[in-house]
Amino acid sequence: MSNEVVVKVRGVTKRFGDRVIFENISLDVHKSEVVAIIGPSGVGKSTFIRCINHLHSFDEGTIDVQGFRLVGGQSPSKAELQALHNSVGMVFQTFNLFPHLTVLDNIVLAPMQVKKQARQQAIDRAMHLLAMVGLQNRANTFPKRLSGGEQQRVAICRALAMEPEIMLFDEPTSMLDPELVGDVLEFIQRLARTGMTMVLVTHEMMFAKEVADTVVVMADHGIAEMGPAREVLESPRTERARSFLRRVLNPVGSPREPNLVANGGDDR
Amino acid sequence: MALGRMSRIRPLSTVSTVFIEVVRSIPVLVILFLVYYSLGQIGIKLTGMAAAIVGLGAFYATLYAEVFRAGILGVDNGQREAAIALGLSHRDVLRKIILPEAFFSILPNATNQLSNLIKDTSLVFTIGVADLMFQAQSASAVTFEPMDMFLLAGVIYFLFYLILSKVLARWELNVQRSRS
Amino acid sequence: MHVVILYLGVLLQGGMRDVELTVVSSILALMLGALGAIGRLYGGRIIGGAIYWYVELIRGLPPILQLFVLFFGLSQFGIDLNPLSAAIIWLVAYGAGYAVEVFRAGIMDVAEGQHEAATALGLDRKITMRKIIIPQAFVAMLPNLTTLIVLQLKNTTLLYLIGYADMMYQARLGADATAQPGPLYVVVAIEYLVLSAIISRIGSSMEKRAAAYR
Ligand SMILES: Nc1ncnc2c1ncn2[C@@H]1O[C@H](COP(=O)(O)OP(=O)(O)O)[C@@H](O)[C@H]1O
Ligand SMILES: [Mg+2]
Repeated sequence: MSNEVVVKVRGVTKRFGDRVIFENISLDVHKSEVVAIIGPSGVGKSTFIRCINHLHSFDEGTIDVQGFRLVGGQSPSKAELQALHNSVGMVFQTFNLFPHLTVLDNIVLAPMQVKKQARQQAIDRAMHLLAMVGLQNRANTFPKRLSGGEQQRVAICRALAMEPEIMLFDEPTSMLDPELVGDVLEFIQRLARTGMTMVLVTHEMMFAKEVADTVVVMADHGIAEMGPAREVLESPRTERARSFLRRVLNPVGSPREPNLVANGGDDR
Repeated sequence: MALGRMSRIRPLSTVSTVFIEVVRSIPVLVILFLVYYSLGQIGIKLTGMAAAIVGLGAFYATLYAEVFRAGILGVDNGQREAAIALGLSHRDVLRKIILPEAFFSILPNATNQLSNLIKDTSLVFTIGVADLMFQAQSASAVTFEPMDMFLLAGVIYFLFYLILSKVLARWELNVQRSRS
Repeated sequence: MHVVILYLGVLLQGGMRDVELTVVSSILALMLGALGAIGRLYGGRIIGGAIYWYVELIRGLPPILQLFVLFFGLSQFGIDLNPLSAAIIWLVAYGAGYAVEVFRAGIMDVAEGQHEAATALGLDRKITMRKIIIPQAFVAMLPNLTTLIVLQLKNTTLLYLIGYADMMYQARLGADATAQPGPLYVVVAIEYLVLSAIISRIGSSMEKRAAAYR
């Protein structure tokens, strides 16, 4: 992690209609830093990281990414967006692979169309990426034939094929069966070790503690607490962060109320 | 008919299926002609009006059968399983769970077919007045000025259509909102 | 029964003319419909609104009225179309109106995540449409396209009313000449039955092939 700030968020506010999702968020992401964003469902974690690559616009504040500036309430030019998307890759909770294209075509599409790479060059790079995750022999398969874990690894390869400077992950493992989570997290961890800058929304606390440099806890329309991963996760300073962590680390209920029967334990 | 097609009684479901598929594939106008002229020739003489009611009735009954079937099949299987797991009888599952659920997915298609039915009433003149028009046409003696009449008919039909599609759509939306 | 034998030849010929019209008008209608759907979705308020009301008119007015306005109504203003051109213009105009809705629904049905993924990869709107959205929309709307083509075929039954010499017209002539309409209309019904069955069969085999990835 260096001192160079590659994502600078200042005073960002986002509303859907009249509803404020978050207010006045500020945050720095340094080169090669791994930032994990945690917080309860519905606080706006997904919305926030989608603001970074302008999948969502925002209403107030500024976000500087790699020297490009997004300003609240203004729409950037096509060329600016193009440059932004070239340097920021994104991985989605639901993978969002293109179902009508093979694994290989999913990966080579953007390099060929956007970066005008020759097909052979794009294929070489794609096969190299697939080999890294042990999927080189599935290159000509359609996504639906892969397991969720395999699909997500392909989705990461697809984003990496554009050689981004920054990677955004929105709960990359929360749609996966438990036994498939490991492979995906392991790949993300390897990526972190190569020095990739990453902003990652996750519910995997152990993973965040191990891989992230910084943890951001979102609650009540803003950032409740932010700091070095171990500190925030092991000894949170604010009550809101404490109560959130208590709930996720001890989901079954407090010892005084043993939750022996599954009576409405699922309170989503 | 929809229930017939999904019935577990084999002959019943086969007959319903074949009937629905056959009637659906024949243009309405041909059905009207079959009912009016072909039945007439084998001794079942109907007035134009009666033929129209029988023809359109049979045709739209089958279309509605399909609409209902799609609606019933569209109900989430989980609902069915949950109801059976709760020990409801087959009939109660259908009456208390499936049909009420299906009703809301059926509504848009049902109103859609209704507006088609209204439009198709315009074909009825072919089994009464049509011969006149046909003869006038084949003798290429078109001297009348039909535009005014068309315009009036058009406005009326279009109003019917707008009322059905827009007003009912809004009503559907309200019903759906009040349920969620 | 000999009326059937007598008229079978002309009825089949008339049927061929219906098939030709259906094929030609469907192709043109689909092309216009695709353009119309894009105009409706991305054309802004004026173009989008105009297309919206066009589609509503096509869907809201009885087909026969539309056809008569074109053929009889326009001739009142000195625009005389022959039966063939009136038939083609109407079938294309009508089919295109429906096709707009079919395409629009197909395009809107493609999951939001597909747009997001494409945008995040830096694909521009044109490439996203061409490479991501339209291929998926096409597969999703194949059943509706089949329905549309069957509808076009069924609409040809109306054309005898403006004197286009198709199957229905021949049956009508035969019925008048022999005073035996019964069997002739049964033959017409069977012809339409077979033709729609063929269209549906082609449609479902295309669906199977196109949806191999699902
Ligand atoms: N496109 C949208 N329009 C309106 N509200 C939205 C939209 N997307 C998300 N929201 C709302 O914004 C809030 C934050 O959503 P999200 O960012 O997905 O939360 P998280 O990812 O933290 O679970 C939620 O209450 C959600 O209902
Ligand atoms: Mg989320």
